[in-house]
Amino acid sequence: MRHFLLFGLALASAGALQAQDPRLEGRLDPTTQAAVTGLLDSARAAGLPTEPIVDKVLEGMTKRASPDRIVAALRTLSTALRSARVALGPGAPEGDVIAGASALRAGAKPETLERISGVRGKAGLSVPLAVLSDLVARGVPVDTAATVIVHLAQGGATDADYTGLERGVARDIGAGAPPGAAAAIRARVAVTEGQSNGNGPPPGIPPKSPKEPRAKIPARP
Amino acid sequence: MHDDHDELIGRVVDELRAPVALDPAFDARVMAAVRQAAPGRWRLALRWWIEPRPFRLSPLTGLAAAAALAGLVVLGARAFEPRPAGGAATAPAIIVASTAPGSEVVQFVLVAPQASTVAVVGDFNDWDPGRTPLQATAGGGVWSVNLPLRAGPHQYAFVVDGKDWRPDPAAPRAVTDDFGAPNSVIIVGGKST
Repeated sequence: MRHFLLFGLALASAGALQAQDPRLEGRLDPTTQAAVTGLLDSARAAGLPTEPIVDKVLEGMTKRASPDRIVAALRTLSTALRSARVALGPGAPEGDVIAGASALRAGAKPETLERISGVRGKAGLSVPLAVLSDLVARGVPVDTAATVIVHLAQGGATDADYTGLERGVARDIGAGAPPGAAAAIRARVAVTEGQSNGNGPPPGIPPKSPKEPRAKIPARP
Repeated sequence: MHDDHDELIGRVVDELRAPVALDPAFDARVMAAVRQAAPGRWRLALRWWIEPRPFRLSPLTGLAAAAALAGLVVLGARAFEPRPAGGAATAPAIIVASTAPGSEVVQFVLVAPQASTVAVVGDFNDWDPGRTPLQATAGGGVWSVNLPLRAGPHQYAFVVDGKDWRPDPAAPRAVTDDFGAPNSVIIVGGKST
């Protein structure tokens, strides 16, 4: 009986140590520490990644944010992680869940995550969702950004296509193009190039029309 | 009648053939007058610049010259563009090399002539300002560091002189700003897939 008690005590201590990230040790007041530990435990129990939560605490401490503000930010982040996990399914990799949470916080709808996940399959969602958040951050309306990302996924776009899109849109916006138009035009170009590489056009985007022969100008008499 | 004319012509010819006796100072006077009338070097140079003259140019050469002129005007205008307050401007973080699979070397650059120290903080170094200082170039003002980062999105910011938080103006800002000091975002990866 005594051995069982000691074993249980050891397990509880190990659990507490696991809940307490070593990077946070001794850096938070007891109240904040308790709140953070509770959120980390809750995240672990739900199968959510805890690294973004620890990272958010570290960011808040470095920026000298108040404990209340740090805890509020953690709650918002935890909610987004939970929603992303639900949208992407229990088997989704942590990186996809983190990128999904970021996209949701950028304004994307859970259905958008589900659609991209359904099309991309095991190709990973981290880069497409990060580009979605990036486009919104650059001023592209969230609906336009989501549509572009989904269409590219349906066209078989690779991660390189997404990062290429992101850089192209950034250049166009820098040159003065409206963000929404820049994203739509770049997506169109990426899809057209995908077609020429053998990928079919995604639904909603008609195939590129063949070049019509130029009309002949009659020779002068 | 003819003899009279012949005699007159002969006399005229003789008169023309006779040597003319010139004043010995005549040459000197003529040369002095010529020197006085001739324009100076500076006047000649000025005249070279202001006198109109025709020249020939092919349309292609003319276009090239116009393009070059326009380029010079644009470059000159950019050189005089105002800089952000504090004399700081940034170049975006750029991926300079691929290292191990799933990771790439990213170069962070900040132009901050008046800064004493610059560090980059982000989710890749636990937001620790003491961990990744930027090095100033020999001329000063341009700060940079190369950092291997794993693939995926990363949030980061610059810390100038230990207290001034600056996002990278050339990179997109993170949509969320939880603590009142916005971060920038870089997406690493997406090259090999």
